[in-house]
Amino acid sequence: MEQIQIRRTFQSGEVPGVIAIDAHRCKGCDTCKRYCATKAITGMFGSVHAIDTDKCINCGQCLVNCPFGAPYETVDAVEAVLSKLKDSNTTVVGIIAPAVRVAIGEEFGMPAGSLATLRMYGAMHKAGFKIFDNNYAADLTIMEEGTEFITRVHAAVFGEESPERKAGPLPQFTSCCPAWVRYIELNYPTLIPHLSSSKSPQQMAGTVAKTYGAAKVWNVKPESVYTVGIMPCTAKKFEASRPEFRSASAYQSKEHAAGSGMAYPDVDAVLTTRDLARLLKKMGIDLAKAPETSDDGILAQYTGAGTIFGNTGGVMEAAVRTVHAVLTGKELEPLEFKPVRGLKGMKTASVTLMDTRFNKEATVNVAVVHGLRENIAPVLDEILAGRSPYHFIEVMNCPGGCINGGGQPIPAGGTGWMGAMSPLLAWK
Amino acid sequence: MSTEPYQYIEDPLNVSRREFLTISGALIALTALPAAVVRRMAVKRNDYIRARATGLYQDDTNAKIRVSHANQGVMRLYQDFLGAPLGAVSEELLHTRYIDRNRALA
Repeated sequence: MEQIQIRRTFQSGEVPGVIAIDAHRCKGCDTCKRYCATKAITGMFGSVHAIDTDKCINCGQCLVNCPFGAPYETVDAVEAVLSKLKDSNTTVVGIIAPAVRVAIGEEFGMPAGSLATLRMYGAMHKAGFKIFDNNYAADLTIMEEGTEFITRVHAAVFGEESPERKAGPLPQFTSCCPAWVRYIELNYPTLIPHLSSSKSPQQMAGTVAKTYGAAKVWNVKPESVYTVGIMPCTAKKFEASRPEFRSASAYQSKEHAAGSGMAYPDVDAVLTTRDLARLLKKMGIDLAKAPETSDDGILAQYTGAGTIFGNTGGVMEAAVRTVHAVLTGKELEPLEFKPVRGLKGMKTASVTLMDTRFNKEATVNVAVVHGLRENIAPVLDEILAGRSPYHFIEVMNCPGGCINGGGQPIPAGGTGWMGAMSPLLAWK
Repeated sequence: MSTEPYQYIEDPLNVSRREFLTISGALIALTALPAAVVRRMAVKRNDYIRARATGLYQDDTNAKIRVSHANQGVMRLYQDFLGAPLGAVSEELLHTRYIDRNRALA
């Protein structure tokens, strides 16, 4: 008798669990539990494990760290994207995350961390994608989220409130990590007002592609644009399915009252870095040999601040560069904001600057947290107790940031501790 | 007369001091080896994370423009379409709300 799993924590239309465990491969070694931030994996040591999708935040850390490859993704868009690429009436737009360009090469024999941006563009052009670099969307996110942060600070410190928009409380959390967002929604809903209201770069990109992109860049009908997020992240597959992310469609219905009527998602499909490699290989495209191609499209232009989003501390550093310039009128000198870089689980820094608008000196305390499982609890408890000294906190679920996301290539040596020993094991 | 030492019931482990030290040394070497093997693999795991991070910081260093507010394309997007950050169009298209997933959902 099939057990019907009652899913309590999903909106209608959302992917009800991106990751599942293959019972035939699972050996019950508990390695996955060492990486799960939400204790979402059930099953005793030695027995087959399963994922409780009501607790799972779709981060995929279990998947990239399992020595036996037991967890797998329940959503695979490769075939769907392939058929869209062949459809001449569809404009397929690849939204490429920063972390993809330093990892995709690994799937084609290049050394770890090779910066393969131009070859990646070449391969994707060959496949038939239009390029929307998510780093452009990252720059856009900084503009929105940085401005939002400044309004929160001005409200909290100087009591300045806008009539149209009530400023949220401090500290402000970044909201670009969908695993982190679901984590808060599940486990700390009272802290939701602290989350930035800005969408993630992926979702901003999807919306912009189907409004501004369609009208001003590619000159096509918005309904004919098929947006594909190309991400280092499995949780992005969940994020794209959230029913509220149909803003472009709602906007078009409003602007052109005779719209087609059916709501469509801002991001139609998501491919992980691994998925993209598989798609290119299926098309016979070897990225390592693809021609280095630059893309002059406006939506492929990005700054150094946008590209570091893939690293832990990168979002914060990008935000500090802009917030500093907006408040003081001068660029941050030097641009490298070293205290937020590196692999320490929790990094903190203070920036003292002169707010030229109010002519007052202010000290902004920032924190950067990654590796949710080990490092987030004390930060959240401090906020709940009203004792947090921070004003702006960047949170990334995955240790190291998105570059080590659940959708990234799994190194041949094995990420799990047993990887290097597996040829010796009788049961492999 | 027996030359063997008396076997006390409370002392089942009948080894000499030399034997005890030899066995201890062997056990320590045995546990140290896998621990070192495991640790080496764990340390290796961070190498590819660092390599990818270095790649992105290099991308930043190489960039001609390194601050988001100077992205010309983003500036044009605001000029031609969005208006201003946190303006009405931005609010509608680029901002969102979150939900408490412990309450009944649609």
